[in-house]
Amino acid sequence: MISFHTDILPLKNELYRLALRITMNTAEAEDVVQETMMKVWNRRDQWNQIESIEAFCLTICRNLSLDKMRRMDNQTQSLDAAYDPKDQGVAANPEEQAVQRDRVQLVRQLISMLPEKQRSCMQLRDMEGKSYKDIAAILDITEEQVKVNIFRARQAIKERFQKIEKMRK
Amino acid sequence: MDYKYIEQLMERYWNAETTLEEESILRSFFRQKDIPAEMEPLRALFADEASSQQLGDDFDARILEMISKEETAKTVKAREISLTHRLMPLFKAAAVVAIILTIGGALQAPWDNTWNTPQDYARVQQDLDSVAAVSPIQAENMSDWSTDSTKILMERPKN
Repeated sequence: MISFHTDILPLKNELYRLALRITMNTAEAEDVVQETMMKVWNRRDQWNQIESIEAFCLTICRNLSLDKMRRMDNQTQSLDAAYDPKDQGVAANPEEQAVQRDRVQLVRQLISMLPEKQRSCMQLRDMEGKSYKDIAAILDITEEQVKVNIFRARQAIKERFQKIEKMRK
Repeated sequence: MDYKYIEQLMERYWNAETTLEEESILRSFFRQKDIPAEMEPLRALFADEASSQQLGDDFDARILEMISKEETAKTVKAREISLTHRLMPLFKAAAVVAIILTIGGALQAPWDNTWNTPQDYARVQQDLDSVAAVSPIQAENMSDWSTDSTKILMERPKN
């Protein structure tokens, strides 16, 4: 038996991260997660017929995020505010830490410049560790299309990232 | 340290060919403290973003409250509806019975209201006597009149 408290509420952060990746806005992302939870709650008579409740929630979350994105007219806030730049912890000295923070921010920025499908595929794969099959179900595309989206996303990031890194030297 | 394997994995990564396990290996590698300098820039790709993107416990509380509010509203509504629904057939039945009684009562009124008590009977007899006195021609027929109340009513002599 699926319970809201144990099976659905704990998905909040995963949903939040996806909503954030799409809307690029913390307040909007939180609203999306709230709306997603209420929508899922109102469909509780379907829960036991659903194969993956996680995929179900992520799908609703993505669709609500897209709705918000269209209505927002891309009024995205600065990425610094959207993400809390936590110390990545590994670099030894402040200079290296600063450089590392810059790079992390750069990657975020590069991802944010991607089209939404590529962004969402990357988020679900690289951050949430979902299989191509799961991602295909959530985005309602084929597995092949998922692979293509991830390929394009990573290639774009690689190209721009390496270009910028070359300029550092 | 064998970096060749990591380089191969990175090639597959860019081509979207890595499995989840291979990506996990890359992640572990790039979260180590010491890696070759030329590989440092790639660390940012496998940085842990998740820990900084979280919703607090107050979010949980808010959602659970919203749900319980909705549940209460639905229960109250359900109770109100079922009460009215349950009584409705009763109201309809009562209305039908009332109609029947009213119509039925109206139909029976001319036949019944004169003969409810013995006094009524005596009164009618008196009326009949006075009638007979006024019209002597029919007096001798008075004894022939039957004592059946309805027959007397129906066969009252016309003066």
